[in-house]
Amino acid sequence: MIVIDKLCYSSRLRYTNAEVKFTYAILTLLFCVISRSLVMAAIVLTVNGILTVGKGRIPFVVYRRLMLIPLAFILLSTGAVIVNVSKSPLDAYAIPIGSWYMTGSRASLMFAARLILSAFAAVSCLYFLSLNTTMTDILGVLAKIHCPQMMVELMLLIYRFIFVLTQTASAIQTSQKSRLGYQDFKTSVRSFGQMAAVLFIRALKRSNALYDAMESRGYDGRIRVLQESYPPKRKEIVLVVLFEIALLVGCILQLP
Amino acid sequence: MSKREKIVMRAVIAFAVLFAVAPVANAMHIMEGYLPVSFCVAWGVVCLPFLAAGFISLKKKLQENRRVITLVAMSGAFVFVISSLKIPSVTGSCSHMTGTGLGAILLGPAAVSVLGIIVLIFQAVLLAHGGLTTLGANTFSMAIAGPLVSYGIYKLCGKCKVNKRISVFLAAFLGDLFTYCVTSIQLALAYPSESGGVAASAVKFLGVFAPTQVPLAVIEGILTVVIVIALETYARPELKAVGFLKEAK
Repeated sequence: MIVIDKLCYSSRLRYTNAEVKFTYAILTLLFCVISRSLVMAAIVLTVNGILTVGKGRIPFVVYRRLMLIPLAFILLSTGAVIVNVSKSPLDAYAIPIGSWYMTGSRASLMFAARLILSAFAAVSCLYFLSLNTTMTDILGVLAKIHCPQMMVELMLLIYRFIFVLTQTASAIQTSQKSRLGYQDFKTSVRSFGQMAAVLFIRALKRSNALYDAMESRGYDGRIRVLQESYPPKRKEIVLVVLFEIALLVGCILQLP
Repeated sequence: MSKREKIVMRAVIAFAVLFAVAPVANAMHIMEGYLPVSFCVAWGVVCLPFLAAGFISLKKKLQENRRVITLVAMSGAFVFVISSLKIPSVTGSCSHMTGTGLGAILLGPAAVSVLGIIVLIFQAVLLAHGGLTTLGANTFSMAIAGPLVSYGIYKLCGKCKVNKRISVFLAAFLGDLFTYCVTSIQLALAYPSESGGVAASAVKFLGVFAPTQVPLAVIEGILTVVIVIALETYARPELKAVGFLKEAK
């Protein structure tokens, strides 16, 4: 099933106030992207690692694997940033190909390093949020910051349905596999298409039944869920504020 | 081996190892933190009118008939699940559908824009595909530009009486390709090349992602055709129910 969602329910930081976690993750993320500073990115990576793996008790092996998900994207696109094809060589390196050069400048290499590290720091912020906060808590925060009610409502329903449909899909795929449905490319394509079509039909049927069930329980256009409240501790707020001020100062000083 | 050969050899091995362990590229989500802040904000602003239009039309439909809400939500969950499943591929690498073409054909571009941004938020938080700062850019390429092209082509083919299967294939295939082009241009605008500016950079990004994205677009096209055929055989009444969403424009 969905790994991140499963892990966040067992995180030790799950019952920390969601607004504090949300604010921390978003502000830190913004400072990383704004500053693109190597020092700050390294600090943020370390702090988030300590928080998620040390405090939240998310297994390190899983955390490392998750951090590597965007690796392919970052390698390909950073490659495109630092390699230029031009008639005149630039200062860092130049590999001649006929009368052209594959070349790059020192500035762009430095920039690529900043880009990679700060992007990874940003990803670690995203993971801090998603590995330690349940989706329902995040939706609660969204409702509090006045995200349109219809959006929050839709997100809540979609979140629930994702699991229903994932389960249905995996059951269908298991039975298809047991009948050699994914034996080669041609059968895979056919099986996948049939699975998706059946999934869609079941989804729609279920949506009708679900609406009936909701209406019979008095649904009036709003799902009211009892929000458990975990009031923020003063220590957490002070630490987050201090950390963000430090990052802000780092931004203003333009650390390398 | 000479010293130079050794260096080259090492570089090649390092490159091969990196790519062997790298989980192969998903659809073209720009990763978290990759775009400068100004671009994040700008793309978000570009998306706003489309999202507002989708939002208003959806709201109107809901006021007419509240029952639609579970239909819309199920469709959104369907797009998410389809895009999170591994799809068959020729090379054995693992890749995912974007579901943009299918969504646009089934639900229409207005509904897809709103559902798209929700699906992208879930993809970022639950699967770490894409991110929160790059949400605007990703929404524009995957939930607005791609579906609009898909829908346009599908309608155009319908008018010109092209074979249904071909028109579905073209809609999904070209919608996917367009998404990939838009993403490359978004990256190029943010990181213009030192020699040649935005245009040269766009060519580079297009080239770098082509080997993964072009086959993916073809497969996505084929799969969409298979799905649509199966749906038309088994699920005419359901399709009509969803067609209700499409009129919302």
